[in-house]
Amino acid sequence: MKLKNSLKSRLAKDVAFKIVVGVLSAMLILPLLFILFYIVKHGSASFSWGFFTQTPVQVGETGGGVSNAIIGTLMLIGTASVFAIPLGILIGIYLSENRQSKVAEFTRLCVDTLQGVPSIVMGIIAYAWIVMPMGGFSAFSGGVALAIMMLPIVTKSTEETLILVPDSLKEASLALGVPYHSTILKVVLPAGKSGIMSGILLGVARVSGETAPLLFTAFGNPFMATNLFKPVNSLPLLIFNYATSPYEDWQTLAWGASLLLVLFVLSLSILAKVMVKK
Amino acid sequence: MNDKKSILELKNFNLYIQDKQILKEINLPFYKNKVTAIMGPSGCGKTTLIRSINRLNEGIPDIKMTGEMRLYNKDLLEMNAILVRRKIGMVFQRPNPFPTMSIADNVLAGFILNGVRLTKQEKEEIVTGSLEKTGLWDEVKDNLHRKGTFLSGGQQQRLCIARALAMKPKILLLDEPTSALDPKATERIEELVNELKSNVTIIMVTHNMGQAERISDYTVFLYLGELVEYEETATIFDSPKHSRTKDYLTRKFG
Repeated sequence: MKLKNSLKSRLAKDVAFKIVVGVLSAMLILPLLFILFYIVKHGSASFSWGFFTQTPVQVGETGGGVSNAIIGTLMLIGTASVFAIPLGILIGIYLSENRQSKVAEFTRLCVDTLQGVPSIVMGIIAYAWIVMPMGGFSAFSGGVALAIMMLPIVTKSTEETLILVPDSLKEASLALGVPYHSTILKVVLPAGKSGIMSGILLGVARVSGETAPLLFTAFGNPFMATNLFKPVNSLPLLIFNYATSPYEDWQTLAWGASLLLVLFVLSLSILAKVMVKK
Repeated sequence: MNDKKSILELKNFNLYIQDKQILKEINLPFYKNKVTAIMGPSGCGKTTLIRSINRLNEGIPDIKMTGEMRLYNKDLLEMNAILVRRKIGMVFQRPNPFPTMSIADNVLAGFILNGVRLTKQEKEEIVTGSLEKTGLWDEVKDNLHRKGTFLSGGQQQRLCIARALAMKPKILLLDEPTSALDPKATERIEELVNELKSNVTIIMVTHNMGQAERISDYTVFLYLGELVEYEETATIFDSPKHSRTKDYLTRKFG
C-alpha cells in the first residue's frame, strides 16, 4: 500500500516536472517569436521589387530601395571570407594536429581571446591599420574588421570538427604511402567537410549583422558603390542610420532591411544545422 | 631455418619512448612468402614492432630507434618513410575504409591520394583484381559506386586488405586484423591470408593463439619487449623451448 502511494506521488512529480520544463522552454522560444512577428509585421510592407533593385531616394520622394546596402553587405562578407576562411581552416588544422604542443596551447588562448574582443575594437583597429594609411573609408577595411571577427569562429569549428576525425583514417592514408600534406588535404579535410562548412556559415551569419566595426571602416554610402576601396553601405549600417532618422519612409526602409537581414541570418543558421546533421 | 630467403631482417633493433625502452635488442628475420605471427601478452610491444616496420611510429614525440631493419639490402629506417610504406602495406585492428570514397575508390585510394593518374582500363583491372584476390568481387560488384562504409565489418576489413594489395606491396602487415570481427568473418580473413601468401610476405600480430597456429608458418613470442622465442609454428606450439612461451601458450598468463 505504501509502495503504491509513493509510486503515485512519484508519477505526479514526474508530470509536474515535465510541465515546468515545457513552460520554461516555451518561454525561451517566445521572445524569438515576438521579434520575428514584429519585424515581419513592420518590414514585409516594404518588400517589393524596387526594394531590392533601387537605391535610397532623397527625403520627400517616395519609393527607393536598399540595393546598395545588399551589394555592400555581400562585398563585406566576401572580403571577410577571403581572409578568414582559408586562414581559419589552416589554423584549425594546425591546432587539431598539434594538440599538446605549447605553441598550439598559446594559439588556442589567442583565438579564444580574439573571440571575446568587442566588435567596436575590431573597427578601431581596422581604422588605425587600414583606413588611416589608405586615406579613406572603404569596403576593404570593413571586410578586414569583419574577417578578424570571423577568424576565431572558423578556426574553432575547424579544430573541433577535425579532432573528431578518427586517427585510424589518417593512419590508413599514411600506410598507403601518402605524404602527410596530401593526407590532411585529401582524407582528413573531406571527412570533416560538413562541420567546417557549417562553421563558415555560422561565421558569416555572425558578422553579417555587425554594425559597430563598420561605423568607421565601410562608413556607409547612400549611393551604389562597387569599388572595394570606396565607402559602401551595408544592411546594418543602413538600419542604424535610417531607423534613427525622423522620416517615416526611411524608417520603413530600415524595417524592411531588418527583416531581410534576419531572414538571411536565420537561413544561414538553419543551413548550418542541416549540414552538421548530414 | 636458414635455408629460407629472408626479405626483411631486424638487427639489434631497439626502440625507446622518452626514456622507457619498449623493444630490446630484437634480431629477427622474416621469410619471403611466409606468414609470421607475432604473439605475446598485452603491452609486450607487438603493435609497436609492427608499426615501426611501416614507420608509423614516427609521429610519437621523443621516440628513438637504434639498430637496423634491412629490407633486401637497404636499411628501412634510413629510407624515405613514404617509399617504405608503398612497399609495405598495412591493415589495422579496426576496418578503416575512407568514408567519403566509394568502394571502387577505396581500392584505388593509394593511387588517388598519391595523385597517380590511371586510365579507365587500368582502374578496372586494379579494382577487379584486388577485389577478386580478397574474395570480395562477387559480393560487391554491383555496388562499386556505394560508400565503403556501407559494407559489413568483415567486408570492410577485406576491402582494406584489397586497398593495401592494390599497391602491390612486398610485405603486408596485419595488426590484429580480426579482433573486431565475428567468427565467420574471422574465418574468411584467415582463409584469405592463406591464399595471399604465395604473392606476398605476411607479418601479423594476433592475440588469438588458435589463429596463429592455424595460419602462420613462423611464430614470434615477445615478452616485455624482448624476443623470447622464434620458431616454426608447429615446433613452437608442440615443444616450446622457453618456460615463458609454454606458460603463455597454456594460458597460465597473458
